Amino acid sequence: MTEEQLLAGLRAGHQAAYAALVTQYQGAMRAVAIAIVGSSSADEVVQDSWLAVVRNIDGFAERSSLKTWLLTITANTAKTRLKKQRREVFIDDLRGPHGSIDNDRFQPDGHWQQGPAGWHSDSPEALLDAQELRDCLEHTLSSLSELQRSVLLLRDRQCLELEEICNLLDISHSNVRVLLHRARLSVFATLEHFEVTGEC
Amino acid sequence: MLTCRDLVAQSSDLLDGELSLRQRISVRAHLAICFRCRRFIRQLRVSQRVIRQLPDAPVAELDTLLRAMAAQQRKKGTAADHDGPQ
Repeated sequence: MTEEQLLAGLRAGHQAAYAALVTQYQGAMRAVAIAIVGSSSADEVVQDSWLAVVRNIDGFAERSSLKTWLLTITANTAKTRLKKQRREVFIDDLRGPHGSIDNDRFQPDGHWQQGPAGWHSDSPEALLDAQELRDCLEHTLSSLSELQRSVLLLRDRQCLELEEICNLLDISHSNVRVLLHRARLSVFATLEHFEVTGEC
Repeated sequence: MLTCRDLVAQSSDLLDGELSLRQRISVRAHLAICFRCRRFIRQLRVSQRVIRQLPDAPVAELDTLLRAMAAQQRKKGTAADHDGPQ
């Protein structure tokens, strides 16, 4: 379904269009909600956001993409929930279950001590063929901080621009970069661990 | 001269196009001579695509949500009838 067809269906109140919309964008909306209010209230925020979408769809002027509009509604709903209570952006350093690519991988002069291991394939499809790896990655994602996980998903899964993530989540450009980098290294470490040991 | 540790520290910025021209030049110079860093960057890009392609979890309680949305839609329709010209 194209975005135009989807919009026409939504405006006409077609159930099938709503179902398609929810299935397509729920993941991105949850990532935004989790980053702002945390996992415990995220589902409620997402549900409220969907109701706001239904109420306001006629006013959607198509100046932004549908996705940007949906994520802005979600971020606003989440921020209202916080009642302007400014949350400290916590650039934590929770380590993923398989660590990161950190100092102990390098010699004192900055060269690799232990270089990255080769992987059996460079194809994501081939790597993800193993159910165990998919479960293992879910485990790594769930062990990251909520903010790290959301930033990673919004960037690498939903392909949002860094600037868009900064605006939605009200965090600085440099913080987004730090969060993203740490999350990516944790995912890298999980993939490498799985490729070397065959286990999670 | 950029070390492998420096390169890893700048790797995300490289993927996101956030490096300055000067940084890009020194990263490229390093990659030209360092097999292990080339492998690292290649695999970092692969892991980015792996996250992209990780299957979505199904939406929990989709039916309940859709019912709530339909109810909201009906409410909107009713409100519009009331608000409309008499």
